[in-house]
Amino acid sequence: MIVDSIKIECRQVSKIFKQRGGSVQIPVLKDISISVLEKEFLVIVGPGQCGKSTLLRIMAGLETPTTGRVLLDGKEVTGPGPDRGLVFQKYTLFPWKTVMGNVEMGPKLAGMPRKKRRDLSQRYISLVGLEGFENAYPHELSGGMKQRVGIARAYANDPKVMLLDEPFGQLDAQTRYLMEQETTRIWASEKKTVVFVTNNIDEAVYLGDRIVTLEGKLPGSTANVYDVNLPRPREHTDIEFLELRHRITEETALLL
Amino acid sequence: MSSLVESREGALVEDKMPTMDTHRGFVIKLLHNKRFLYLISIVGFLLLWEWAALYTSYAEYMPTPWEVLKELVRVTQKKLAGKDLWGHMWASIRRVLIGFALGSAIGVPLGLLMALSRHINALVKPVFDLFKPMPPISWISLSILWFGIGEQSKIFIIVIGALVPALINSYNGIRLVDPGLYDAIRMLGANRRQQLIHVTLPAGFPALFAGLQIALSVAWGCVLAAELVGARSGLGFMIILGMNTSRPALIVGGMVVIAITAFLITYTLSKVENVVCPWKVELPQ
Repeated sequence: MIVDSIKIECRQVSKIFKQRGGSVQIPVLKDISISVLEKEFLVIVGPGQCGKSTLLRIMAGLETPTTGRVLLDGKEVTGPGPDRGLVFQKYTLFPWKTVMGNVEMGPKLAGMPRKKRRDLSQRYISLVGLEGFENAYPHELSGGMKQRVGIARAYANDPKVMLLDEPFGQLDAQTRYLMEQETTRIWASEKKTVVFVTNNIDEAVYLGDRIVTLEGKLPGSTANVYDVNLPRPREHTDIEFLELRHRITEETALLL
Repeated sequence: MSSLVESREGALVEDKMPTMDTHRGFVIKLLHNKRFLYLISIVGFLLLWEWAALYTSYAEYMPTPWEVLKELVRVTQKKLAGKDLWGHMWASIRRVLIGFALGSAIGVPLGLLMALSRHINALVKPVFDLFKPMPPISWISLSILWFGIGEQSKIFIIVIGALVPALINSYNGIRLVDPGLYDAIRMLGANRRQQLIHVTLPAGFPALFAGLQIALSVAWGCVLAAELVGARSGLGFMIILGMNTSRPALIVGGMVVIAITAFLITYTLSKVENVVCPWKVELPQ
């Protein structure tokens, strides 16, 4: 592991949520250190309520760590910013904007001229397979299509790191499976550093270059790290795939 | 006519015991037709009204539907206190529009500022909460003492009435915006001003617009109340005139016009809403 190629890293990040003016303290994350390499697809796996979404929100800058730091290209993250693209579990599209309006929002905020940002957004709308839906409003789209918009919106801002927070958690199994394939395809054509949070080990093995598992109870801390040396595109039924999946399941004892 | 309705009701009982008879099948089908039931509802109501106007002890002050219609046609041609029906209608609508415009011009910006600034909220909210539960109509007497019985006192009542829902809804509309939307826009690099333009205002707009709709219907209620006291024009005045001159048909005619106008205003606004916020369907998440 070469130090130079680290894109984003958490250094001993801990988070304690305070409630009722500090009288109730809930430790959510404990001493987490993770390094994500340039162009790497890292998956963080953990069961529900293990703090994995909080960890991603800390990397996004939407939460501040109680102790520890997040470094992006060696510089400390102090708040949300366009150098990280976040894809939300609940899609969180702007309901008053069309697909095009949502995707072009980042470049628009940055002051990119209309023609240029339209062309750019069109490219990402095509990349996620939504040609013909440019003028549709989010409420007219299915869950899978909404999340495609969410991915295109994050990509169109050309972030250094993509952060995906259980992006397919609200989809049915069939759509989820399809979206995993699509994610692999999109990532292959637009290589970015990706941090992907999920509670699904199968999804993690299918997508990740590397998998970090979190302990199943609060405060969350890293349990194990796995390198996934399987060729892409991967098959859910390959023997190596199943073996790794089984191993991770055994070792993390996730009750899923 | 009334025997026809009874035979329909007889068929309704039959409905519980369906037979293979095709004639009965037709009647049952008719009874499941929504439009047909609407028709029954309206016709039944008019018949009941007609009956009450002819045969009950209130008959003396109860015009028949036909008399009301005739009276309405008559006042479109004959002037009451210098104005025909359209003139009185316009007098009321004009007051509503002025009062509504002033009330929302004060209420909406104040609601927005209260939602956006904790300090302004802390300054305004206690006083507002004090005045909020007072029905606007309770201001009538004071309003007449202050402004006389001219236009001003009526518009004052309407301003009070429209201001409250306009303010509350724009305030709540902004405060209840999904915080996730702020996360999303901040991750895309928005500064404070851009957050306001691209999230706060569009996300709060449907609630704000709903507030305006409520404000307008409250304003309509206020104008009628205000016109019942010392007015020389307007639909409220028409009703009072009907009472003072013992012309129940004029009273009921006024009530009908009030209802139709209110309906048209609401209908127009809901159409406007479809145009100005086509995404509305999804918002109540």
